[in-house]
Amino acid sequence: MRGSSRLLGLLVLLTALSRHTLAADTGARTSSDLVDQLRALVSGVSDRLAPRHAVQTRIRPQAIAQGGTSVDLSNLSNPTQVEARLRSALDMDKSPLRITVPGGTARQGDFSLGSSEELRGHLLVVDGNADIYGTLRGNLVTMNGNVTVHPGSLVSGDILTLGGQVTDQGGEIGGEVRTLQPARTRAGSAEQVAVLSPFQSVLRRAAGVLGVFLTLCALGFGLVMFGRQNLEIVSDTVAHSFGRAFVTGLLGQILLLPTFGMLVVGLILSVAGILLLPFAVAVFVLLTVIGVVGGYLAVAHAMGETYIRRRMALGVVIGSPNSYRYLLIGLLGLASVWAAWALFGWVPVAGSIVWGAAFFVTWLLGTAGFGAALLSRAGIKENFAGRLLPPEALTDEYLWATPQFGVPAGRRPGARNPRP
Amino acid sequence: MSARLATILLLLAGWATRAEAQSMRPFTTFRQMHGEIRLAAQLEFAAGLLRVTQGRPSELYRMDLSYDDDRYVPVSDFDSRNGAVLLGLKPAGEGGVRVVSRNQLQQIASLALSPRVDLSLGFNLGAVDADVELGGLRVSQLEMRTGVSKAVVRFSRPNATRCDHASISAGAAQVTVLGLGNSRCDEISFEGGVGRVLLDFSGHWSSNARVHITMAMGELTLRLPRAVGVRMTMDKFLSSFDPRGLVRQGEAYQSVNYDRTQRHLDLDLTAAVGGVNVEWTE
Repeated sequence: MRGSSRLLGLLVLLTALSRHTLAADTGARTSSDLVDQLRALVSGVSDRLAPRHAVQTRIRPQAIAQGGTSVDLSNLSNPTQVEARLRSALDMDKSPLRITVPGGTARQGDFSLGSSEELRGHLLVVDGNADIYGTLRGNLVTMNGNVTVHPGSLVSGDILTLGGQVTDQGGEIGGEVRTLQPARTRAGSAEQVAVLSPFQSVLRRAAGVLGVFLTLCALGFGLVMFGRQNLEIVSDTVAHSFGRAFVTGLLGQILLLPTFGMLVVGLILSVAGILLLPFAVAVFVLLTVIGVVGGYLAVAHAMGETYIRRRMALGVVIGSPNSYRYLLIGLLGLASVWAAWALFGWVPVAGSIVWGAAFFVTWLLGTAGFGAALLSRAGIKENFAGRLLPPEALTDEYLWATPQFGVPAGRRPGARNPRP
Repeated sequence: MSARLATILLLLAGWATRAEAQSMRPFTTFRQMHGEIRLAAQLEFAAGLLRVTQGRPSELYRMDLSYDDDRYVPVSDFDSRNGAVLLGLKPAGEGGVRVVSRNQLQQIASLALSPRVDLSLGFNLGAVDADVELGGLRVSQLEMRTGVSKAVVRFSRPNATRCDHASISAGAAQVTVLGLGNSRCDEISFEGGVGRVLLDFSGHWSSNARVHITMAMGELTLRLPRAVGVRMTMDKFLSSFDPRGLVRQGEAYQSVNYDRTQRHLDLDLTAAVGGVNVEWTE
């Protein structure tokens, strides 16, 4: 009792800490979301009114010197590939910026092609808007800038804007126009999950393990309350015939899908059976879930019972050794492997190993439990539960020492055909 | 004791409100009209919402996408020599299934096609909720393949050109095709796996049509116009069929006005398991 109180106290402390940390985090995120939404709204309106204002920070227009990374703009059909190449070229911390555009030119800052001008080759504009009044014989790519194609102008090739807009005011565009916007990350995106600290990661996983543990406890207690006898028989089957139960569970897993398929086909082929198909599928799924979960709980019961009996054999006084206690102790034991993962799962290599071990142990015991449920027909038959004594064990000494009320001595097993 | 437990559960519930999601990326592509008279458009779209509508006369096509950039890359490739365009999404190279809530999976594709060019359309759809409006377009060929989809294909207005062939193939899907009479297709074939299918043949009939339907398992509803003479041959295995309004003529079922009507609809139906329903419309 004292131990459980300490455990609860620790959990409250950990959860409160996590709440405190995450409250600040969530608050910041919520406010930043609001700012982002407001900015998106304002930029959406301003884009309609004046699309040229997308580039906030003005960079002095200049040519980008050749050299450095080569970015081929001749094929823009895969815009994400072009973007990745451009980003890698821009991310290189070089001053001055150097990009080679095969068969074209690269510019930084705003760029305008006059109505009397003609530019041959592809054009790359970085961190600036491109205004086309004249003729561009090639493809046009802008990064962090808008493109405006003015009346009377011509772009013979494709246009690609990465983080900008294309406004066609009546010019001619010979190729395709593509616009790729930055990703709009929704709350709690994969990137945000990836930057969780180890402490947050531990808390998140611990909460998950605790949630599953509590759910299994609730299910298990319900099972003890309403199906104690069946649970005990499955539990005894696991304890006394573990190997047999595991092999049966393994075979059951292998045959599960073929059995399901045969059931469905059989019902479809029989004219009347097709009406029963939805019910049969639902019942099959339900029975499988009951078999797996019930078997797993029976394994927990067996583990708890074995542990408590050993403790009692050592002379430890235990208040009430009943099925609830067996189940709780067993589930704590099963949860401990996942608790180890929750604690150390963030460690790069060891975390994966711990996860693998926890998964393997859970699968092993789950398979045995499922097999025991199959062997005992969900706790109806106790053939493998170690409760029925084999005939060779029914010796005279056993029968003499074991009172069998209501059974005449002449009909006792072993006494029927006395050996000469 | 119980108060402590309740506190823990409340705190955990508060913490659990942090939801996970994905990043969606907008992509737009279009092409101006440059005197083209035909376009072969192929759309690849694996998951999400799809809307196909009539576009601006000044544009050959336009596609607006909002896609999951962790799993897909957008494709927009026009082949000017053949007048063909490949649009949509292709996998980014990593397999696997993302398990998130339904709202977070809303990839959206909106495709607008020119009403001025003859269209040969190909749709390859996966788990898609599709609403395809082809009324008013010039559809000369249509081929649609869907996986686990809910698709509605409409010909709300008569097709502006003659359609050689329309082919729809559905896996486990709920498919509704409305206004097939407006499609002006000489030959229509439908192949269904599992699901519920409604084929509505109403509309402005300007020619005869021959329809081949193969249905593996599920419910097929045929909505037939009274003004058109209908003749149906049927090969069924474990299917129920209610020949309402049709009379048996040898191996076929036929509407009573088949010999008197100007336009004929000949249906060749193969159904394995399920039901075939017939509805009549004016």
